[in-house]
Amino acid sequence: MRASPGGRAALAEFRANLKAAPRRLYESAFRSGAPTTDRSRSTFVFGNVFLHLHAVRTHRWSLRWTTTLGLGVMSASAFLITLVTGVMLMFYYKPSPDLAYQSIKDIHFVVPTGRLIRNIHRWAANVMVVAVILHMARAFYTSAYRSPREYNWLIGLLLLVVTLGLSFTGYLLPWDQLAYWAITIGANIAQSPRELTDALGVTGLFDPGGFQRLLLLGSDVVGQEALIRFYLLHVMILPLALAALAAVHFWRIRKDGGLTRPADADARLAREPAADTYPVFTEAPLRTYHLAAVVRGRTPAVNDGPEHTLPSMPHLFYAELGVLMLTLLVCVALALVSDAPLKELANPSVPENPAKAPWYFLGLQEMVAFSAFMGGMGIPLIVLLGLALIPFLDRETSATGEWWGGPGGWPLVKRSALVGLAAPVAIEAFAIRFGWLREWFPAIPQLVVTAVNPATLLTAAYAAYSVWCIRRHQSARAGALALFTCFLGGFVVLTAIGTYFRGPNWVFYWSPADWPTH
Amino acid sequence: MNKNKYLLLVSSAAVLLLLIGAAVQETFLQEWRRLQARARTDEGPIPIQLRQVVNDSLRAADRCVSCHVAMGPGEQGVRGEPVLAAHKPVVHDPAEFGCTICHAGQGQATTRSEAHGDVRFWPEPMIPARFSYAGCGRCHATLGVPEQRQLQAAAAAFERLDCLSCHRVDGRGGTLRPDGGGMEGPDLSRVGLAGYDPGWYETHLDKARTASAGPWRGAVGPSSDEDRRLLALFLSTRVASPMLVEAKSVFHSAGCLGCHKVSGVGGDDGMDLSRAGDKDPGQASFHGVPGQPTIANWQLAHFRSPASIVAGSLMPPVAASDRELDLLAMYVLSLRRRDLPEVYVPPDRVRSVKLGEREFAGDGATLFGAFCSGCHGQDGLGRRLPGVLSFPSIASPDFLAIASDGLIVSTIERGRPGRRMAAWLKPGGLRPAEVRAVAGYLRSLGGVPPEEDPRPARWVTADAAAGRKLFDGVCAGCHGPAGGGGEGPALNSIVLRDSATDTFLVKTIGRGRRGTVMPGFLSATPAYPALASADIEDVVAYLRVLQGGGS
Repeated sequence: MRASPGGRAALAEFRANLKAAPRRLYESAFRSGAPTTDRSRSTFVFGNVFLHLHAVRTHRWSLRWTTTLGLGVMSASAFLITLVTGVMLMFYYKPSPDLAYQSIKDIHFVVPTGRLIRNIHRWAANVMVVAVILHMARAFYTSAYRSPREYNWLIGLLLLVVTLGLSFTGYLLPWDQLAYWAITIGANIAQSPRELTDALGVTGLFDPGGFQRLLLLGSDVVGQEALIRFYLLHVMILPLALAALAAVHFWRIRKDGGLTRPADADARLAREPAADTYPVFTEAPLRTYHLAAVVRGRTPAVNDGPEHTLPSMPHLFYAELGVLMLTLLVCVALALVSDAPLKELANPSVPENPAKAPWYFLGLQEMVAFSAFMGGMGIPLIVLLGLALIPFLDRETSATGEWWGGPGGWPLVKRSALVGLAAPVAIEAFAIRFGWLREWFPAIPQLVVTAVNPATLLTAAYAAYSVWCIRRHQSARAGALALFTCFLGGFVVLTAIGTYFRGPNWVFYWSPADWPTH
Repeated sequence: MNKNKYLLLVSSAAVLLLLIGAAVQETFLQEWRRLQARARTDEGPIPIQLRQVVNDSLRAADRCVSCHVAMGPGEQGVRGEPVLAAHKPVVHDPAEFGCTICHAGQGQATTRSEAHGDVRFWPEPMIPARFSYAGCGRCHATLGVPEQRQLQAAAAAFERLDCLSCHRVDGRGGTLRPDGGGMEGPDLSRVGLAGYDPGWYETHLDKARTASAGPWRGAVGPSSDEDRRLLALFLSTRVASPMLVEAKSVFHSAGCLGCHKVSGVGGDDGMDLSRAGDKDPGQASFHGVPGQPTIANWQLAHFRSPASIVAGSLMPPVAASDRELDLLAMYVLSLRRRDLPEVYVPPDRVRSVKLGEREFAGDGATLFGAFCSGCHGQDGLGRRLPGVLSFPSIASPDFLAIASDGLIVSTIERGRPGRRMAAWLKPGGLRPAEVRAVAGYLRSLGGVPPEEDPRPARWVTADAAAGRKLFDGVCAGCHGPAGGGGEGPALNSIVLRDSATDTFLVKTIGRGRRGTVMPGFLSATPAYPALASADIEDVVAYLRVLQGGGS
């Protein structure tokens, strides 16, 4: 049969389509063409579901290293690293008390690169906790929580809680002695409201502590139920929650007008040479406004020209990728130097002494040693509530975006750091040397100890000092600076004492070498 | 903002370098890879890969064979460095059982120190090579192991009767004689487990008598009953673990069971040793332990000076030679357990656990060695230990001459309530036949039959009040006020009331016990004046009051 002319044309078209398919595939994916000009780069960012969390243009102030120290991106990067390595570990990990420990041993010894991946996962998790805390401190000290960013500050607090939850739930999974007893301690902290209900004699009617513990463990003991709960929380619920919250967090940065910067940032930048920026205006803009202009509120360019903004692509992305790779570098380097711990197989009949919670909870455990309720519930809730209230109590506007900005400034922070470090050291030294109420008056009602103990006294001292700072500087921001700094100081001191100076039965020792042998 | 670009470049390059380094380390530098690369078979090099022995029911995944390649299944032909060598022939094929079930260690690990368990947080380090037989104890419970002297006598009998000329035992013997008169008999290394023809003696004799020529001719001659008893004892302990049997025999001579329990049998004063070999070096204090911090060294130091290793320990130092201490350490290391699937529980363990068969031999010497000698001494002449009341000399001829069998048996069965001597007739203690065997052995130790005693058990009718004065002045110093016991034995014991005759008490006071601080009161001593027979009877009358009268 002979092909008709129409058939030949169809074949030719088919050949042409086939030839053009790769180009068309590329064009359908990257509609704006190669991102070679300012405009195509902007379109590229705007048209990409992942990249459009960023504004298409970034203020030069935001790209200065001193503005953020890269801590937010570092937190997100650490999360990304734990996510990837965590998924890899899931291929081999078996969430059952009989198999979990063996599977970790297998990951350690025979899974190709398993040991490295697990080490990276563990270090990235720790880096994430540290980075998140430092990121919060950065946001606080540059007053980044102020209007219109109050909401994002609250999201950030939630992210902090979820981060700690992720790290804590991961702690149990190896099912070794370290994990088992750390989780036992953690579960007892969750049960700490019982101290209050016991003291009030209402535990039989109302037992939120027992309920919390049951909710956490799914059983009276740390066993299969607890393991599967922690596993599910660790690999699904909390990561999803964190990803969702993080998306809101990032989106909000854009919606709130980019990163906080001083009111006179443009003027200050104008004094600096801009030689390190690319010659990016390779093509005249098609339109005279730019995309950020559609954003409501105090956007970076509503009243100003775009002189001090740069296209996010590539400038912001270099910075972000740079921090990502730096974080990865830190994690890989640590992973090569130091193995993630794996102690003996969990053994409920051989308690670890001392049994210690993960390091970021050792401050709490230190307080729990004095009063379970205050250390485990009361003070953490007060701290979280205080942190949440900061943006609503500090409505000042001066020195936003400045490090240590606000009345008092850096000298106040320094003084507060001194108070924040010295007060817990003094109170702990007293309590360690002379004991506390229970040692002096064995029959004293527990409620008194719950109300009056080193942890509550410390909190009260911090609060009193902050109020004094508010009066002295006539500024709520000064009080916030004082309180937040004190809180960080207390966290550091209590965590250090819990980590390094507490031995069997939570007795104080200068060094583990002094621990009694058994 | 070029510095961000450089940040990205430098960090990425550094990450890449680290990952390349890690890849090289993992792919090329592992110890087992280097070892396997140097291994050869007749066909040439072997494939370099991770090797393991897997036994699901024993929960073993032992990667030991990644280095010890020739110990793996089907790899016997591998040659090279010593570490690659094949396992010596053993009953349990490593290819089936894996390595850690016997040797302990961390089978999943793939580096030397971690696999051998010489690392923190691994509770089961490898059993040191010189104590390897201790690994048998994880599953096996060798039954009927006698005390040392008998085991030695049994081994000596086996040698003396020249059984080794035909039979191979524990790697010795069974070769043809140089004169061509010998032959290959069955290997007897495991007859203790496998059993043997009880009529072997007659069969052997028959064959030796009827054989007109060849190796059988004149090979076996008549032997005494005692020799055959020793041979039977020797054969019953041949379980392919000669060193562990020897170690257990030392344990059964050192009196440890008097205070310690093993598998539910023994005294209650000391720690239960049933799992002592499972002791976790991570949980032990090595303060005062010389040498490497291993459990074996801990045990050795502990035997030599218990109180300096375990604060407050009342255990006396173990009086034994270095070799015996080594064997004891090995036995303690063998006291380990693991839950086994039923098919892997060996018959000897079943017979011990389910049928109540004893791990020690049932003769008096072994029972005395295992249960009594710790306190009363190997020779039964008592022991004085620092910080502890002295233990009576029960093999003293002075005692045995006047003590009836009934008194000895009931003392063992009922003990001395309130004193260190426990009542041994109880679950976890001795059985009636065993008590009688101990009493019989004791009698043989003294070599003295009990004197005839025509008198009734109670014949003393004297003045207890006068006896009391004498007792308070003369006896109470050692025997305690009201006879409650002190340095000397308690005399108000209900067991003495029930089992000691008046004759026994009168003669004991009159003659004393040579070799102890108890003098004979019929004649004067530097410390005490002599007592008249009537005075002694007064004292006995008072003792009966102290014991609560009756009977």
